[in-house]
Amino acid sequence: MKVKNLLLNIAPLIGLLILIAGYFVIGRINDINVAYGLKTIVNQSVVVAVVATGAVFIYTLGAFDISLGASTAVSALMAGIVYLKTESVGLMFLTAVCVAVLVSLLNSVLAGVFHLPVFVTTIAMLSVLNALALLLLNLGGTGSEIKVPQAAVKSLDTLWFKLLVLGAYFLFCFFLFDFTPIGRRQKFLGGNPLCAKLTGISLNRYSVIAFVICGLGVGLGAFLSIVYAPTLTRNTASSVGMDVIIAIVFGGMPVSGGARSRIYAAVIGAFSMSFLSQIMVMLNLNSGVGQMVKAAIFLLVVFIAAGERKMKTLPR
Amino acid sequence: MGEMKQARPTVLEVHHMIKTYGSTKALRDVSLSIREGEVRGLIGENGSGKSTVASIIAGMQKADSGSMTYRGKEWNPKTMIDALEHGIGMIVQESGTVPGISVAENIFLADVDRFRKGPVMNRRKMMEEARRILDDIGAEDLRAEMLTGALDIQSRKLIEIARVMRQDPQILVVDETTTALSHRGREIIYRIMRKMREEGKSVFFISHDMEEIMKECDALTVLRDGEIIRTFDRDEFEEEEIKRCMIGRELKGDYYRSDDDSQFDPEVVLEARHVTVPGGEPLRDFSIQLHKGEILGIGGLSQCGMHTLGKVLFGAIKPVDGSALIRGEQVKNEADAMKKNVGYVSKDRDSESLVLQAPIGDNIAAGGLDRFALGHILVTPGAEKAYVNAQIESLEVKCQSRKQYVSALSGGNKQKVVFGKWIGRGSEILILDCPTRGIDIGVKQAMYQLMAAMKREGKSILIISEEMAELIGMADRIAVLKEGRLEKVFRREEHPQEADLIRYMI
Repeated sequence: MKVKNLLLNIAPLIGLLILIAGYFVIGRINDINVAYGLKTIVNQSVVVAVVATGAVFIYTLGAFDISLGASTAVSALMAGIVYLKTESVGLMFLTAVCVAVLVSLLNSVLAGVFHLPVFVTTIAMLSVLNALALLLLNLGGTGSEIKVPQAAVKSLDTLWFKLLVLGAYFLFCFFLFDFTPIGRRQKFLGGNPLCAKLTGISLNRYSVIAFVICGLGVGLGAFLSIVYAPTLTRNTASSVGMDVIIAIVFGGMPVSGGARSRIYAAVIGAFSMSFLSQIMVMLNLNSGVGQMVKAAIFLLVVFIAAGERKMKTLPR
Repeated sequence: MGEMKQARPTVLEVHHMIKTYGSTKALRDVSLSIREGEVRGLIGENGSGKSTVASIIAGMQKADSGSMTYRGKEWNPKTMIDALEHGIGMIVQESGTVPGISVAENIFLADVDRFRKGPVMNRRKMMEEARRILDDIGAEDLRAEMLTGALDIQSRKLIEIARVMRQDPQILVVDETTTALSHRGREIIYRIMRKMREEGKSVFFISHDMEEIMKECDALTVLRDGEIIRTFDRDEFEEEEIKRCMIGRELKGDYYRSDDDSQFDPEVVLEARHVTVPGGEPLRDFSIQLHKGEILGIGGLSQCGMHTLGKVLFGAIKPVDGSALIRGEQVKNEADAMKKNVGYVSKDRDSESLVLQAPIGDNIAAGGLDRFALGHILVTPGAEKAYVNAQIESLEVKCQSRKQYVSALSGGNKQKVVFGKWIGRGSEILILDCPTRGIDIGVKQAMYQLMAAMKREGKSILIISEEMAELIGMADRIAVLKEGRLEKVFRREEHPQEADLIRYMI
């Protein structure tokens, strides 16, 4: 049983290693430049990994934020406008982080004040943010784009910088999640909010903390999005929201949150998805087939996770 | 009784049943049988295997090996629904109702289509039918159209009973159901069991309450560590011998407190001052004081307000009038109560006191993070492990390790984990709401001795209980509530009897 539990715990990591091995093997067979592909994979993964790592704090509570992609886009657009006004990369960075944290804070405060499920407030926020993104494109740009000069961020557009940002944020979250009362209490809240309340743990307080941490990740993600693609349009970070959800589940995070939540799920999931996508490109599978393969794997992961849960709750 | 044994045929037999969960052997070669018209008690310590064998009979899970016969044919139900359709129903320990739908919909949960004609659901007919079933079992005050989520545990349990009884089972399994019920709810179950006996049907009755099991059963099978130790016929019932079989030794030492001394410090540590809380379990201008080193018992009928009192004193319910005070200071919320060294053990253990899908360690540590985290910030694995293991060892929690999930523990060990959460952080005042509910006598004795030791250390305990013997055996003073008001306070030296308490409860 211990071996089985261990295998279930490390299954997402094993999955990632298999995908990495598959990527190199298929690359070698098809004589593809795997080094260039790796750069693409990091660029694809890093924004999702950063945003998803923060989102783990929200998922751990058993909550669900659907507005993360839109929040990333708005933060990036605001930051882009600030750069165009000030030509300061530092202020652009600060703006991205502050806007994202504020949006996140607003989500959690609204949920707390109106006693609504976070999911509901984030649906409303998604609409507001989408409208705001269009407004920002009109106000600060040409109506269709906001163009931060490539030269301003070129020195940051390196794999090492991106991996450094991801690594630093991941370590920060890892510390909070596994080595401070914050993470412990959030897992407890996700497991049983009523019991947590009767153990002196405030749902409102820890929701706000989770959203602030997540907001920080969204802000970093927004900044990295600008660094990778400085021309900001309606499509900036458009797929991040859904990718974050898929990455977290891929990484072995239980959708119900609680004690089995793992901070590394986001990073493993994000990179697994990117390797999978890249493998499908190498196999010349069109995007429709690729999406179906992803959906099938998504369902498989949830099925296995649910099966494990059922097994553990058998009566005695 | 002997005549019945000879005249009535065997209706169900279990042969050499084995069941394991990982490394735990829950059943080791269990064989038993039940006759028509027999009420068979199954008794044993938590984790002895009684619920496991019952759940296999009722189709909840499958045995690893062994066989069953029901009315002479092989019995191997696929699911609980399959078992019930063929005549064997079970009322489970855990709550099995859906909160967001009506009482009637819960009663007909998997069978609502019978009220459907084409696309139209005949709700009126479903409500009428549900009302008839509720009346039949004696739960007339439950309304079919009520929302299940708004009901208390007892009412939800009555819905489960109605759901099973509407199928007219030939064998009924009652698994520790009475622990969730008040006197009235228990009477409903007893009436159902007696009626089934008269009609030649059979009942497996699982309970930790020795008194009720000896009163209601025709025979009693004792299980220990997954094995049948002995089956007693009614004329062989002898409490001490049954207890000895259950725990495998004589129950030595004191069960309740042995002293007759109700001395305690005059310092008031916890107080309800003119507290009023409206609702189904109200408090009306209620005042009481708990002193340092005192065990204060709170008793009454289930809806008398005593459970509300526990939550008010812990800051979980805000009274509309009056206040809850800890050492003279008003309690703001649960976190504030914890800062003031108060702990609270809820009556509803699985829903309110534990995260079942979390390890034992997480549950114990959750209460003490401010105690062992360095500077209240850094949780080191070593400090956490030492803190948790100290509680597991001192309370003798039977588990594989601190990483084992609480859901896999027996009721008594779950309650030990709850105690560990509060004792570990050094709570000076404990509010215990039905702390021994669903717990076997061995663990009960350990809990009582723990309370007595805490009193000797100058700690204060407010024990809310529906078991009068427990209040009489443990408390320095017993406050009896009726309809949210304080009716009477007994002191230990007065040696109150159960009848004295009941007089003020009703």
